[in-house]
Amino acid sequence: AVTLRKIHEACCYEPMRPNKNADAADDFDEADFNAEFTRCVFRIMPVKKSESVGDRTIRFIGLFLRHANDKDNDLLGETDADASTMPETPSSRLTAEVMEAVLPLLASKDKFVRYRSTQLISHIINSLDAIDDDLFQKLRQGLLKRIRDKEAVVRSQAVLGLGRLAGNQIEGMTNPEESDDDAETGLLEKLLEVLQNDPSAEVRRSLLVNLPILPATLPYLLERARDQDAATRRAVYARLLPALGDFRHLSLSMREKLLRWGLRDRDENVRKAAGRLFRERWIEDCAGVTQPEDGEAPPEPAAPTLDGLLELLERIDVVNSGVENGVALEAMKGFWGGRPDYRDAMDFNDKFWETLSAESVFVARSFNDFCRTEGNGKYEALVEEKLPEVTKIAYFLERYLSVMIEAIQRANNQDNVGEDEEEEDTVEQEFIVEQLLHIVLTLDYSDEVGRRKMFALLRQALSIPELPDEVTKLTVEVLRDICAPDNAGEKEFCSVVLEAVADVHDAIVDDGANGDDDESFHSARSEVSGNSTPTRKGKNTKDTEMSEEESRDKAIKEIMINMKCLHIVQCMLTNVEGNLQQNDHLVSMLNNLVVPAVRSHEAPVRERGLVCLGLCALLDRPLAEENLTLFIHFFSKGHAALQITALQILTDILNVHGAQLLSSNPTLLKVYVKALRSGSRNPEVQGAATVAVSKLLLGRVVTDSETSSELLKTLIIAYFDPSTAGNQSVRQALNYFLPVFCYSRAENQDLMRSVALDTLHALYNIREGIDDDEMDVDDEMASLNTIGACLVDWTDPRKCYMPGVPMDADRKNVNGDVHLDFASDILEKLNGNLSSKYMSHHS
Amino acid sequence: PETATRQRKEKEPFEIDFTSALDGKLAETIFTQASSNSAISLPKKDWKSKTRNLLPDDKHFNSKQLLSLFLKPKARMNSKRNRFNSRIGTSSHAAQSGSVHAADMDE
Repeated sequence: AVTLRKIHEACCYEPMRPNKNADAADDFDEADFNAEFTRCVFRIMPVKKSESVGDRTIRFIGLFLRHANDKDNDLLGETDADASTMPETPSSRLTAEVMEAVLPLLASKDKFVRYRSTQLISHIINSLDAIDDDLFQKLRQGLLKRIRDKEAVVRSQAVLGLGRLAGNQIEGMTNPEESDDDAETGLLEKLLEVLQNDPSAEVRRSLLVNLPILPATLPYLLERARDQDAATRRAVYARLLPALGDFRHLSLSMREKLLRWGLRDRDENVRKAAGRLFRERWIEDCAGVTQPEDGEAPPEPAAPTLDGLLELLERIDVVNSGVENGVALEAMKGFWGGRPDYRDAMDFNDKFWETLSAESVFVARSFNDFCRTEGNGKYEALVEEKLPEVTKIAYFLERYLSVMIEAIQRANNQDNVGEDEEEEDTVEQEFIVEQLLHIVLTLDYSDEVGRRKMFALLRQALSIPELPDEVTKLTVEVLRDICAPDNAGEKEFCSVVLEAVADVHDAIVDDGANGDDDESFHSARSEVSGNSTPTRKGKNTKDTEMSEEESRDKAIKEIMINMKCLHIVQCMLTNVEGNLQQNDHLVSMLNNLVVPAVRSHEAPVRERGLVCLGLCALLDRPLAEENLTLFIHFFSKGHAALQITALQILTDILNVHGAQLLSSNPTLLKVYVKALRSGSRNPEVQGAATVAVSKLLLGRVVTDSETSSELLKTLIIAYFDPSTAGNQSVRQALNYFLPVFCYSRAENQDLMRSVALDTLHALYNIREGIDDDEMDVDDEMASLNTIGACLVDWTDPRKCYMPGVPMDADRKNVNGDVHLDFASDILEKLNGNLSSKYMSHHS
Repeated sequence: PETATRQRKEKEPFEIDFTSALDGKLAETIFTQASSNSAISLPKKDWKSKTRNLLPDDKHFNSKQLLSLFLKPKARMNSKRNRFNSRIGTSSHAAQSGSVHAADMDE
C-alpha cells in the first residue's frame, strides 16, 4: 500500500514538469501534450468496471487536472482569482479539450465505454472548483441523458456528477443574478425523480449521499429511510442524518418517524446505525456545547448532563412516544446500553422525585427497565443503589396520583375555559403516574412495610372513578404482583379488585344523583353480590315523571358505570389464571356483571361484556363450551372489529382448552376458513384470522390431519393470492409463519409436503384466471417457478430443526425422505395426468 | 514521453498499454456510437416505480405474538396442559429464524 501511494504521488507530481515545460520548452508544445493526454484518456475508456486500474487512473486524471488548475491559478496571481469570468489557462484548455473529446463517448454502444466516460466526467466535475460555462452546459446535457442509461452502473456515475451540479446551481440561486433559467431547477427535479424511481438501489444510494441537503430535497432524502434496500436505509442513518447537523431542525413528527423506522428496521445494521445516531449524535445536539463547523473534527463528546437528556426526550415528544409500544423505550434502552457515562452519572435524589416531569420520570423508568432486563442482572445492583426504597416510591406515587386526579377533576369541571391547556396538563400528569407504575411493577415487595403501604395506596386508587384506563390497567397489574402468586393470593387479588369495582359503582351512582330517586341506593354491593344490574331495575317506577332529557342522562350514566366497572374487571381477568368455579368472587361477578352486560342493549357495554365473558371462558371449560355458539354468533353477525374480537376469543379458548372443541363443532372450522378468505371485504378480519390460524397450527392445537391440511392450504394460497397483495398483515404474518412452522418440526414439514401439490395446482388456477388484458400477471403474482421454489425450500429437511442438533451444525446426514416423498408425489401426479390423457385420447 | 510516468502502473495484472497506437478494433469499441438512444437507455416503463421503491409498513411479527394469547398477552399459551414444555426447543428456534425479518416477497 505504501509503494502504491508513492507511485501515486510520483504520478501526481511528475507530469507537472512536462506540462510546465510545454509552456516554455520547444520540443513539445501544449497542443502536443493535450493531444497525447487525450489519447491516453481514450485508452482508459474500454476498461471494464471490475478493473480497479480504471478507477485509479480516472482518479489520477482528476487529481492531476485539479493540481494543474490550482498551479495555473496560482501563477495568475490573486487579482484574477475573484474575477467573475474564468481566466483561460493551459489547464483549463486541457480540461476543455479532454471533456469535449470524451463527451461523444457518453452515447457509445459499448457499456464500459459509457461507464468510464461517465465516470470520468462526473469525477472531474467533482474535482474542479469551476468549469467554463459552455462546457458546463454540454456536460450537464450529456450526463442528463445517462441518468436513463440501461446500465445501473452508468446511471450511478451520472448522478454523482449531476448531484454536484445541482448543488452548485442552488448556491447560484441564492444569488438572484445567477439563477437564470428553469432548466436549472429542472435538474434537481429530475434527480429527485430518479431518487424515488430508479430500479437500482446503488443509484438511489449514490444520489442519497451526493445530493445537496436543502429544504426542497430533504423530504425526498429522508423518505429513503424506508427504501427497499437495507444499505440505502442504513446510509440515511449512518451518513445523511449525521451530516445533516442539528436534528432539532427536523419536525417533531419526522424525528419520531425516523427513530421508529430505524430502531425497528428489519435489518440489524440499520437498527444499529439508528441507535448510534440517537445516543451519539442527537444527544450531542442537546448536551453538546457548540456545533462543529463544517470540516472541523467533531468535538469530544460532551459530559453527560441530565438537562441534555431531558431535552432529548422532550425533542422526541416523550409524552407520546413513551407510551406502550412507542419508540422512546427502545431508543432509551439502546441509549443506556451504549452510554455507560450516562448510566453512572444519573442521580435520582429526593429533589429529582419531588419535581418530576414527563421527561425526567421517563429517564428513571427507562433506566430502571434497562437495568432490570439487560445484561443478565449485572446492572441490578446499579439500579438498587440509585432508586429509593419501596416506601418512598409509594409516597411519591401517592403525591403524583393526587395531583393527577385533581387535574382531571379540574378539567372535568371547567368544560370550556382553557381546555387545551388543562388537557395537556392532565396528559402529562397521567404519563407521570403511568411511568411510576411501570417502575412500581418491577419492585421487590419482600419488605413488608413497603408492601402494605403500596397495597393500600393502590387499592384506594382503584376506587377512584376518574382513574384513567391505562393507569387502571397498570394499577391492577401491580396489585396482582403484590398478592402472593398462589391460589390464595389470586383470591385476595380478586376480592380486593371487586371491592374497588363496588366502590366505583357507588361513587358514580351517588355523584350527581342528588337523591332524586331510589336508584341511588341501588348500590354496587348489590351489583356484585345481588341479582341485577344497574341497568334495568327501577326504570319503570318514575318513567312518567322523568323528562326526556333526564332519562337520557340517566341512560348515559348507566352506560358509563357499566363501562368503567367492566374495564376494571377486564383488567383483573387478564391477570387471573385459576379455575373460575373455585373462586366465589369470580362466579358472582360473572353472574351479576358480565352476563347481564353481554345481554345489554347498549352495543359498547355488550361488546366489553363479551371480552370479559371470553376471559372467564378461558378459566372455565364448561363455560367455554356453553358459549361457543354465542361467540360464533358474534363473529357471523358482528361488525369487523367485533368479528376480530370473537375470532381472538375463540382462538384463545382453543389454545387453552384444546382442539376437541374444534372437532366437536364443525361450524367453528368454517368460521376460520371463512375469515381467512374474507379478503377484500374485510382485510382486517383476514389479517386477524391469519394470525389466529398460525397460532393454532404452530401451537399444535390443531393436529388432526384433515383440519390442519385444510388450514395450511388456505394459508399458503392466501400468501400468494394476488388479492392479498395489499394486505400487509396477511403477507407479513405468513412470511414469518410459514418458514417458522415448517422448520420447527419434521411433522410440520411433512404436512407442508402433503398439501404442496394441491396448493400449487390451486395457485396455478388462480394465475390462469388473471385477466392478461387488464394487468400484467407477473406484477400481480409470483411465478409458478417462484412458488415451487418456496415449496421446495420450506420442505428442505436440512433446514428443519432437529432435537439435540444445534442449528449451525454441519447437516450432511439428514433424513431426506420429505423431499423424496415430495418428488414421488410429483411423479405420481404426472403419471396420473399422463394416463388420463392417454385414456381420453383413446376413448 | 509524457506517458512514460504512467506506464509504471502496468505492474497490475491488468494492463493499459498507453504507448501503442489504438488498433482498429479498440478504436471501434471506443468510438462506435449506439444505434439509437433507446438502445442504451432504460425502458420507459422502468422510469417510474409504483412503490417509489419504498417498503410497506412493517407489521413486526415475532415469535412472541404467535406464542401468546390474544386476550392475555402475558400468559404463556398452553401453560396449563404443559404441552408447551415439549416445544421450548422449537420456540427458541422460531425466535432465531424469526429475528431475520425477511419480509420480502421475492425470494
